[in-house]
Amino acid sequence: MAIAVKSWKALGTSVHVLATDAGELATATTAVSEVLEDVDTAYSRFRDDSELTRLNASPGRSVRVSPLLATAIDAAQRAARLTDGAVDPTIGHAIRVAGYDDDFSRVAARDPQPALPQKGSENDLKLRAWRVPGWQAIRFDRRSRTVLLPAGVELDLGSTGKALAADLAARAALVAVGVGGVLVSLGGDIAMAGTPPLGGWRIHIAEDSRVRPDGDGEVICVPAGGVATSSTTVRRWTRGAVVLHHIIDPQTSLPASGPFRTVTVAAATCLDANIASTAAIVRGEAAIDWLLSRRLPARLVENDGTIHYIGRWPDPSGVAA
Amino acid sequence: MKSFTPTQRDRGLERLRRLTFGATAGALVAVAGVGYLAAASYAGKSSATAANTTSTTTTTTDSSSSSTSSTNSVQPSTQAPTTGSSGSGTVTSGGS
Repeated sequence: MAIAVKSWKALGTSVHVLATDAGELATATTAVSEVLEDVDTAYSRFRDDSELTRLNASPGRSVRVSPLLATAIDAAQRAARLTDGAVDPTIGHAIRVAGYDDDFSRVAARDPQPALPQKGSENDLKLRAWRVPGWQAIRFDRRSRTVLLPAGVELDLGSTGKALAADLAARAALVAVGVGGVLVSLGGDIAMAGTPPLGGWRIHIAEDSRVRPDGDGEVICVPAGGVATSSTTVRRWTRGAVVLHHIIDPQTSLPASGPFRTVTVAAATCLDANIASTAAIVRGEAAIDWLLSRRLPARLVENDGTIHYIGRWPDPSGVAA
Repeated sequence: MKSFTPTQRDRGLERLRRLTFGATAGALVAVAGVGYLAAASYAGKSSATAANTTSTTTTTTDSSSSSTSSTNSVQPSTQAPTTGSSGSGTVTSGGS
């Protein structure tokens, strides 16, 4: 069975839609595009007119949000709860202060940004005195879809938001085509829906989602659910001589500095895979027991390149996993 | 074989009709319910390899898989990934 593929850019990243029935690819693509447009309008951090931007600009006021933004906030709060706050949506201010305050293509294109404040300086002390408020600070009523952000709380739904978008897009595409199977990849976060191709969907595991899928490296086959990779090696920028990345440790309000640079997880949904992979980067060594206890197959790459295969993740060397 | 009177046969047919109607109505309700849940889950609209690598493997006893959709924990996939090879229809999972 020939699998049809359509690729384009959206949400500041690459989009790939695969359909097992080539005749349904256009329908699937349209459905995915519509979901991504809705997502961009609802919770882009870089659009002045997005609902999330307006919400972040309304501290102390109860705001009724759209069903989609409510779903995304609900998902982000669930992620925080399930990871004991390792994946926290209230990092909005921290990531902006670190320098990621615009679409990443523009952040990366900037001439070296101003250096971070010198240790012990007044600005450094101010920066360190500031702490991620924590997800419990969000006052969210799911039933009425109202959100109240206290002053100083700024949401960033980037991590869980992209994975949720992949799940929603895959589901919408399957509903649109009605038969067969669909895979949606948003910047390497992958959601599958419907009947997979024989043997499962083939996924090339890399540290950078821009790596060609037919390049050298490990390939796994997955029949359903989601696969997500979090990495500190791709979305990086410099301030002065300091290299920073986008995965913020809520404990320190700074980019995570644990032993793992890249983590890939397979789970029942792309959202759950992303929650686990991001949490693993933040939690560091403690992530191994955490993943094992949740029966999540995972591949972790240490900063020196050493790879660990966790649980039911297939070890390409053939050692039982 | 037991023989039935015309009245008994008519009653039997009527019972069968009621059962068929009940089963059809039940199936329609179930389909509508599943459709509603699917629609509600999307509420947006009304309508590399590592360089210099060595590898270690950590194993765990895992004899069961879960297909429940509880939101109280991160849910594992029902089927584990298997080793594959690159080919048509391969996509890359990586950081972005």
